[in-house]
Formats: sequence, structure tokens, C-alpha cells
Amino acid sequence: MAAWVKGGATDADTAIEAAASLLAKARAPVIAGLSADVAAIRAAYDLAGRIGASIDTAGAAATYAELGSLSRIGAMTTTPAEAVGRADAVLVVGAAPWRSQLMKRLSALKPSRGRAAGSDRALLALGAGSEGAAATLACPAEGGLPEAIAELRAYGRGHLAGDTPRAKLAGLLADAQFGVLLYDPAEIGELGVDMLQGLAMELSETTRCFTLAIAGPDQDRAVVPVAAWLTGQAPRSGFGRRVPEHDPWRFDVARQVAAGEVDAVLWLAALPVPRPGWLASVPSVGLVAEAEANVADVVIAVGRPGRDLGGVLWNEQRAALTYWPASAPSERPSAASVLSALRDRLAEGRAASRSEPAC
Amino acid sequence: MLSVIRGGRVVDPTASRDTVGDVWIEDGQVVDPPGREADRVIDASGCVVMAGGVEVHSHIAGGNVITSRLLLPDLYVSEAAPDGHPFAHAGGAAAWIGSTYARMGYTTAVEPAMPPTHALGTQLELADIPLLDRGALTVMGNDDQLLQLLRERQGGNAVRDLVALSVAQSRGLGVKCINAGGASAFKDGALRLSLDDEIPVYGLTTRQIMGSLLDAVEEIGVPHPLHVHCNNLGLVGGDDSFVATLDAAEGRRIHFAHAQFYAYGAADPANPQTGGFRSAAERIAQAIADNPNATLDIGQVVFGQTVTVSLDILRQFAGRKGAKPKKWVLNAGDAEGGGVVPFLYRPRGPTSSLQWAIGLEIMLLSTDPERTILTTDHPNGGPFTQYPRIIHLLMDKAERDREIATLPGIVAERSGLPGLEREYTLSEIAQLTRSGPAKLLGLTDRGHLRAGARADVAVYRDTTDRTAMFTAAKLVLKDGVPIVEDGEVVEWRSGRTLSLTVESDRAMEKRADAYLTDRFGEGLDSFAVPNEAFDQGVENFEAVPCRA
Repeated sequence: MAAWVKGGATDADTAIEAAASLLAKARAPVIAGLSADVAAIRAAYDLAGRIGASIDTAGAAATYAELGSLSRIGAMTTTPAEAVGRADAVLVVGAAPWRSQLMKRLSALKPSRGRAAGSDRALLALGAGSEGAAATLACPAEGGLPEAIAELRAYGRGHLAGDTPRAKLAGLLADAQFGVLLYDPAEIGELGVDMLQGLAMELSETTRCFTLAIAGPDQDRAVVPVAAWLTGQAPRSGFGRRVPEHDPWRFDVARQVAAGEVDAVLWLAALPVPRPGWLASVPSVGLVAEAEANVADVVIAVGRPGRDLGGVLWNEQRAALTYWPASAPSERPSAASVLSALRDRLAEGRAASRSEPAC
Repeated sequence: MLSVIRGGRVVDPTASRDTVGDVWIEDGQVVDPPGREADRVIDASGCVVMAGGVEVHSHIAGGNVITSRLLLPDLYVSEAAPDGHPFAHAGGAAAWIGSTYARMGYTTAVEPAMPPTHALGTQLELADIPLLDRGALTVMGNDDQLLQLLRERQGGNAVRDLVALSVAQSRGLGVKCINAGGASAFKDGALRLSLDDEIPVYGLTTRQIMGSLLDAVEEIGVPHPLHVHCNNLGLVGGDDSFVATLDAAEGRRIHFAHAQFYAYGAADPANPQTGGFRSAAERIAQAIADNPNATLDIGQVVFGQTVTVSLDILRQFAGRKGAKPKKWVLNAGDAEGGGVVPFLYRPRGPTSSLQWAIGLEIMLLSTDPERTILTTDHPNGGPFTQYPRIIHLLMDKAERDREIATLPGIVAERSGLPGLEREYTLSEIAQLTRSGPAKLLGLTDRGHLRAGARADVAVYRDTTDRTAMFTAAKLVLKDGVPIVEDGEVVEWRSGRTLSLTVESDRAMEKRADAYLTDRFGEGLDSFAVPNEAFDQGVENFEAVPCRA
């Protein structure tokens, strides 16, 4: 097992011992990233629950744009396969979705199921910027995407009238038999998601229209369901008081680090994700597949699920959790096994210290 | 180790047993008295001893359940974790579900709605429910591949092979259909669907889809009959849909989910849309009494805030206007998708009071409690945590009268509940919650205490406060191991997920793989539920054979 402590190569036991020691000393530890397979996400929650850590994910900005809106107004959604199979109109909101794999299928194929089967698919663009050359109708969004979507809603509800490109866009969606609103929550933000869900709900009063969000490069789409079933709550939860407390503001790890509230971080990235800048400013343990000696104070190289070992990951194309066997099996340990070893080591330490008088 | 539960009132209706006596246990099984001393003696004097409870219809895992937690983060209260499990008191979480059922003396629970597209996620979630044996029903009836087979009249064998493949791939315990064709119709603009309405694009009807699934389930030999969620749930005239569906089964085995939600007869037949509803409990109970191959579970309503979760997106879309609080989720998914609509059964409200009365009435009118299963369709009628209170009401006419006295007059005007004198016996409660559901699922090793039964046993203090009695068991054994003592979990262990052993046809595997690859860009492998996906070193699944 490749491992480093303070940049120096070491063996597995020493690294685990150093990581456990770093976490044992912490009064407010955070487990962050969680770009990993389901087994490792479960192990991370188990560890957090037992040592009183809080949790934050690599893709939290997009995840909470979604979850904030969801818990306020709800959602009207569909899946990539249903969009490809049924949509006769797709409104692509912003620029990011144009770069997705899904757009290739939406562009290449016609609807094949449902009442729109065989008809052409209209690709409509709102605020695509330099992307969206393939759109049949493109509208800019100078005032921002949330505002532009709000204007579409106003046209749809008859609060605005006129012969404008946005009015035309609203009309095309209203005339579609199965409309899809495609977006990246990281790009349009919580207010944009709110507006878009409202648009889908209003359009579905007379036809069918659903939203579809593009996932980020992280595993947040796996973390959200696992967090919900393990703790009854969304990912940003803290366990410092032995009760899962969900608080998207309080357990935003970037905010916590900036406020000096964190004294140790375990960064879990068994699948590569961009490393946050704040990681260097706190004592840290890194469980990473693409290991470098200086990623964290203690670094343990773990297997990448789907490559070094099998694992359950979010499958964007299937919009589901699916099992990925190892494509190039290696001896690297799974992130879950390292997290379990840490948990066991920390449990031993806690049992030993339990007899000490409280201060 | 040989154990004996000594001196309790042993209630096992499958053996016509309701007497003070002993239950002997060895190696995780109930055994006949072996004629030697026990290694462990459990004193059950003053207690009632029953088999562990079996749940057939409770939404405890899957996409809708997850969405409901995210939509309503404040629905449940979390408390500080006990020793042994960090999340056991996290309201609504998997560990909370397992421990709360176990404390009530339940040892098996089935999630009734597992879409094959999300089988792995659902199975992983079920695996994290501790203490209980679990299972899930594979949902079919709205998927394009099945509907295409039917539209093209490819014959019963093709449908049978596709059903067998879907159950095998998802590792389900049985098959369920949910408003067959309704989700497909919704996506194509429909707002309502009845048994013989044409489903757009496919030219099929619910009758045809359901009929083909009824046949397939019998041909495969699935022990649990087709689990049916009819059209027109929750609507005035739902009783007509229920009875028409029962007739359409033409004597074949059929299980009706949450029957209470269909027992709404038109109060004014001349004006069914405006006159409101009255109890059709008598009609439903009679229909089941007349059809020995039919069973139902109740879907009892209890008062208070809850959230409705269903793959019946046609119904959930219609129900969105009644959401309280005013937010809802509708997912037009790869077959059914799902709908999540918060709902308040207003305490002492006229509509909710009548719904409450109807559920109880169906149970109290039942001529065969073993074919009448207690459920709240958790969380749709209310949480499963209310079972003890419902049992109390069934067993105690005076308690019922006290509750009815607090409710509006509509309960007496539009239901027959106040006039029902029946009080359930403990044996009948065991039929509703143990032997009935176990037989229904085809699980011969549970639901009873005869020799050979799995040693899943609940010991309750025998008090007249049946709510208290059934909320926190004095002792619960799972496979012979004490998991609950004095209402608290004492041993955190994993149960197994019960999964039907069914052979799938190679030719159908090939066809399905091609179909799925075309539709999803990925084939059959991405729908698999492999052992490798679960904790290693632990046997997660337990095989249940098909009927001979």
C-alpha cells in the first residue's frame, strides 16, 4: 500500500496510525469529498457517526442548488433515457449541458416512444453563449438565467405578451408533447432551479414537461441517496452531538475552514475530483486514488472503483447506481477498508480513554 | 444451544394454539419439546408469545422513500444515538426502520415497489436495514419493453420470460403491478385510467396488462400472488375499480394493496362527482369473502402529517393539488418513475375520519383475518409505528367508541364502524400480522411457532393497554438470538434479503440485452444486483424457491 506521512513514504500501519492519531486529536473533524463508491460512502458515514465528524461533498454547490429548491417547492423530473426516447422539445438552459454526453444522443436520435415517437426533436437554447450552435432557436440570457427562465414562465402564464424570441420559446414548449428542460444546477444556481421547476410544473398543467439535471464530475448523486437512507437526511450533516443534524450552511466545509471551525479533515477522493484550495490549510488525511505525497499530511493511496476494484457508482447514462467491475484489478486497498480500519483504530482509542476522568 | 420460552400464553393460530405453554428453540429454529433440560430458560409468565411479525407492504426503501426524506427533512425527529449504532435513532433512516419494527416484534418486512431499473440501489438500501429479514417486489406493468411485447401479441411465453428475467435480475421476492399502464398513459397526456380504457400509443388496457402478469406469475410459480395496485386509487367510485379488477382476475390468485383507499363508494350515485363518498367496506369485505384466491392489505389511515409515495404517477400528479405542505415531486422515470406528495390526515377532519373508519371497518368485517393483512401502506396512510394503536382499536370496542366520540358525525352517517361490536382476539391479531402475511408471501418458515419454524419470536407483556403492549416487546428473538429486551435493541445484527430463485430464459436475456442497450446505451449487466456490490463476508441474500 502506497502511503506518505508529511511527504515521506511509509507503510500501511504507520499511515493508518498517523491518520487515526490526527483524527483522534480533533474536536471538530470533517469528512469531505466523498468522491467514492457506495461502500466507501457508507464507511465514511459510519466513521463520521462514531467520531462525531461532519460531512460535506465535492459537488455540494450543485447538489444544494438542487436540494434547496427541492425542499422548498419540489420538482418535476425525468431521466436521460426518457428524454432521449420521448422528448420532442428540449430546452437547454445555459452553456454547460451542451458539453454533456447526453446532448450527443439527443442530437443524433429522434423520439422513439410515446406520442411524440417519430417526430423531429427541437433543440432550444437559452443563454448558451458560444455553445448551442445546433439549436433550432437560441435566446440569450443577458440578465442571467434565473431571470430569463422567469420571463418564460411569465409568457406561459400570460403575464407577458409580445412577439419576442422568448415568447416564441415559451410557445414551443407549451406546444411540445413531451418537453424537457436540461440544465446544470451548478451553472444556474438554486434560484434558477426554482424557476425551472416552476416552469415545468406550470407547463404540465396542459402538456407534459420535465426537468433533467446534468451531474457533476463527482459522486454526489451516489452520496445523496446513501446519506438519506443512512441518516434520514441530505449529505451536509454533522454528528458532533450524536444526533444527525442537517444544516447546509453550518456544515459547508469551505465556510467552516474559513471560520476556523475545523481542526482536521479527511479528504476522500477514490475517484478524482478537483482538490479544494482550503485543503492545504488544515491538518488532513487524504484517501486518494491518484496519490501524491503532498496532497495531505497523511496520504493513503486507495483503489479506484471501476478500475482497481469493483464498486457501486452513480451511472449518469442509466440515472441509477450500478456495479462497475474492476477493469484493471490491482492490490490497492479499497477506500472502505481503510475507513473501516480507521474506525476500528479510533474505537480502540476511545475505549481506552473512556476510563479517564472527564475534565 | 437449547432454549425454552417458558410459561407464556402461546398464540399460534396455525396450530389452533392459544394456551399457556412453552416454546422450545434450538439452532435458530422452533423444535418439539426434546425431553432434556434447556441451556437457557426464558421466563414468559404473564406474557403473550407470538411468531415475529411479518410486513407485506411498507415503503421502507427505494427512490421515492429517499426523495421523501429530501422533500421533507423535518418529517421525522432524530434523537441521540444509542450505543452500538450511530444512526439507530435518526428518524426515518434505515436503522431507525429496522429497530422500530423490531421493537414492535416484527422480524420480516417487504418493500412493495422496486423498479427493475433501480434494483441495485433499492437492494443496497434494504441491506442497511438491520435486524429484519427484508424483501422487495419487482414492479412491472408500465415498461415499454413489456408493453411492446403485448402490443405485438408475442404471446404468454414471452411475457413470462420477461417477468422471470426481471425478477431474477432485480432479485425480487414477487411481482407487483401499479396502475398497469397508468404511468405510460400519464406521460402521453392522460389524467385518468380505468380497467378497460385504452392506453395511448399501445392500444392496450389495464385488464390486458394485469391479466398477462397474473398468468406469468402463476406459470413461473412465484409463491406470492401478483400484488396489485388498482386504477383509480383514492377516488370516489374506487370500489367499482376494486371489484372490476377482482372480477378481471377470473379466479386467479391476486393480492390487493391498500384496499382502504378504494373503499370509497359514491355517497350520491346520481351525482358521483359532487356528493362525496361513503364507506364501501362491506362491499370490499364481501368481495374478498366470496373469492378465496384473493387477499388484501388494508392501508389504514391514521391522523397526522405524513407523505404519500407511489409509483402511480398518474394518481400522484392528480393528488398534487392536495399537497400539504404545498410542495411535491413527480418523476417521469424509466417505467413508472415516482410521485411524492406530502399529506396531512387532518385530526378529526371529516374526510380523514371517514378514511380512518373505513380501514377499521374492512378489518372488522373480514370473514378471514388471514386474508386481511394489517398495513398502513407506510407512509401513505400513516407510519407503521401506529400498528399497536390500530391493534388496540381492533381488540377493544370501548377504546374504539372513545375515539369515535371525538370524531365528526360523518363516521356514523357514512360508515358502519360505530355499530360493529366485534373485538379481535389475540389469535386473530396473529393472523393479521403473522400467519396471514407469511402465507401470502409463501414463506413457510415464519409466521407460526410450529416445529421447524424459524425462531423469530415476539414476547409481549399481556396488558389491556394493547398500544403499550405491542409498541415495545419484552423480548424479540431473531433466528433464536435476542435482539430486543424490554423494548430496546440489545444486539445489532443483520438479517437477510429474501430473494426468489427463478431461472431466466437465455433467449430472453439476449433480447432484453439488445433492447436495453438500444434504449439506455447499456445492457443487462448494468441492471444486475451482484453479490460483489454488498459487504463481503456477509451473506446478504437468502434464496426462496418457486412453487413446484
